[in-house]
Amino acid sequence: MELIANLAHGFGVALTFNNLLFCLIGCIIGTAIGVLPGIGPVATISLLLPITFGQPATTAIIMLAGIYYGAQYGGSTTAILLNLPGEVSSVVTTLEGYKMARRGRAGAALTVAAVASFFAGCVSTVLVAASGPLLTSVALSFGPADYFSLMLLGLIISAVLAQGSVVKSIGMVVFGVALGLVGTDVQTGQQRFTFGIPELSDGVGFVSIAMGMFGIAEIILNLEKPEARSVMSGKVGSLMMTREEVRRSIPSVLRGTTVGSLLGILPGGGAALASFGSYMMERKVSKGRHEFGTGAIEGVAGPESANNAASQTSFIPLLTLGIPANAVMALMVGALIIQGIQPGPRMVEAQPDLFWGLIASMWLGNLMLLIINLPMIGVWVKLLAVPYRHMYPSILVFCAIGVYSLQNNVFDVYQTVFFGLFGYLCSKLRLEPAPMLIGFVLGPMMEEHLRRAMLLSRGDPMVFVQRPISATMLAIGAIALIAMLMPNIRKGKDKALQE
Amino acid sequence: MKLNTKDLLSAGLFIVFAVVALWLNQDHNLGTARRMGPGYMPMLTFWLLIGLGSIVLATGLFSGPDPLAKWTSAEIGFLIAGAVVGVAAGMIAARIPGFPSSGWNALGIGMFVGCLVAAIPPGWRALFLPSAAFTLFGLVLEPLGFLVAITLTVICSAFADREHLERPLGVAGLCAFLCALCWAIFIRYLDIRVPLWPQL
Repeated sequence: MELIANLAHGFGVALTFNNLLFCLIGCIIGTAIGVLPGIGPVATISLLLPITFGQPATTAIIMLAGIYYGAQYGGSTTAILLNLPGEVSSVVTTLEGYKMARRGRAGAALTVAAVASFFAGCVSTVLVAASGPLLTSVALSFGPADYFSLMLLGLIISAVLAQGSVVKSIGMVVFGVALGLVGTDVQTGQQRFTFGIPELSDGVGFVSIAMGMFGIAEIILNLEKPEARSVMSGKVGSLMMTREEVRRSIPSVLRGTTVGSLLGILPGGGAALASFGSYMMERKVSKGRHEFGTGAIEGVAGPESANNAASQTSFIPLLTLGIPANAVMALMVGALIIQGIQPGPRMVEAQPDLFWGLIASMWLGNLMLLIINLPMIGVWVKLLAVPYRHMYPSILVFCAIGVYSLQNNVFDVYQTVFFGLFGYLCSKLRLEPAPMLIGFVLGPMMEEHLRRAMLLSRGDPMVFVQRPISATMLAIGAIALIAMLMPNIRKGKDKALQE
Repeated sequence: MKLNTKDLLSAGLFIVFAVVALWLNQDHNLGTARRMGPGYMPMLTFWLLIGLGSIVLATGLFSGPDPLAKWTSAEIGFLIAGAVVGVAAGMIAARIPGFPSSGWNALGIGMFVGCLVAAIPPGWRALFLPSAAFTLFGLVLEPLGFLVAITLTVICSAFADREHLERPLGVAGLCAFLCALCWAIFIRYLDIRVPLWPQL
């Protein structure tokens, strides 16, 4: 079995001391920021990007991935105990989880959240391992036109699934693509939109955009609204679940894992969408649906397994096609490119250590998280005693040092401030920053594929509909767009995202 | 008509940006569809953005009302004043030989001064004080060193939260803690190349 041999190789990579250590560090940081409201994985990963440069690519990605799925574990803790979602993806966990805590079943809710996440993590890791080589072999038959259409599809879906107006989200995607044009044209070497600034000849700083729009803008928005922290509801109680609770959670976990894995692969999907999707499903189909609103364990088990499954399967499009499915994956692309690795279908073959090591580390990381979260729950709750007024100057300082150390250039620092102000403006105008970041990352790749495809077809744009793969992608994208323009479906989406 | 102010402003942002960029794009050779020049993809992108902006504009005329938060006249006044003073400070700094005009310092000085002026009305403090603090870090890091830069950034950003002002000792503690932590992580462990102490 090639898969087993590959996985064994992966464990060999992941079990080295350094990688194990950074996996643990990533998981701990992830849990911490998951617990703390006001700082999410996107901001944290962009904050830590500069720190990872000194390390080998594999170690860097292992740590960054740990932050992302670690945040899914941590987010549920505060959601259950304090009715306070640490992350967007655990918003729905507050609905049933906090009610369970009020009934004195906080311990059981925490256990089911952690165990469900662990189970989903194991399943989705296998899924990533199995689908990786499979999809890669498909992707290798892609021509430039197919790539272009695939990326276009990714951009459309990420805009369609974003919150708020679809047209504005697509506008933000295009805006991101436009920002990605700044810098040296790859084919002719001509400088585009650099205004004679040498720092811009490599393009607008990716880390500056991410840190500004997700880090600094978030701080400003948090400072604007006064802190609201509810009090912890009694004691955690016994972590043991009753037999009845176990019996009721199992089908929910299975459904949540399936829904989460599927929604994670989708471009524009990810942990938040998955937990919403699973919650909606549980409320409709689970046996305990009449108990929803009073603390039904299905409402914790399903979404918690779904968000963790999705946070791992969202690596699939990145690792096999080089296409980021959400803002966190866009940051991973950034991390890989800075390390000198071009994400794409050849990555599985060219970087076996990275691919298989990452997969093995995900499984190990989930195991670590189970241990970090369950017995040590008290430690994480104490973390909430840190007031935001101590957190935000610390985040600012870390951001500032990080962005400066990228190239030892203060221009990057000023650029970040600019994007912080811009991010604030965007949030006031209800323009979503996540589609912009994805557009920024995919834009330069799309341009390259577009130029190559048009050269091969001798300037005939029909090539995009004549090639079957490309035509399929475009058709799916068109359907998604048309569907969103139908009032009924759009209302359904808005409702699902708002709850 | 129910104007959706947020959508109209978003549309304006898209369209103005795209029109300016299209104008700048005249410098680049378009090429043909077969052999695209450096200007081809930008042209497509900006026209698409103009199109999308127009759709947002058209729907924004009817989908409202969705007004922006009300600004006081002081907030508007100091926002404009901040922009004007900031630009002026940057231009003046660029003419002073020595530190103010070297490297990107003039830009930093302009941004810092502008943010400080705009932060005068209380409503803008959450927005402009962290921005000013971040800019200040870039400005003082190289001449005054790592530790001073951290301290000044923390102090400057602390003014954005009223509770800090009542507890100056807490801010001092935070400065000390962050200096120690950042020294351990960035200097000791990651060994980044920055001056630690003021460069005299």
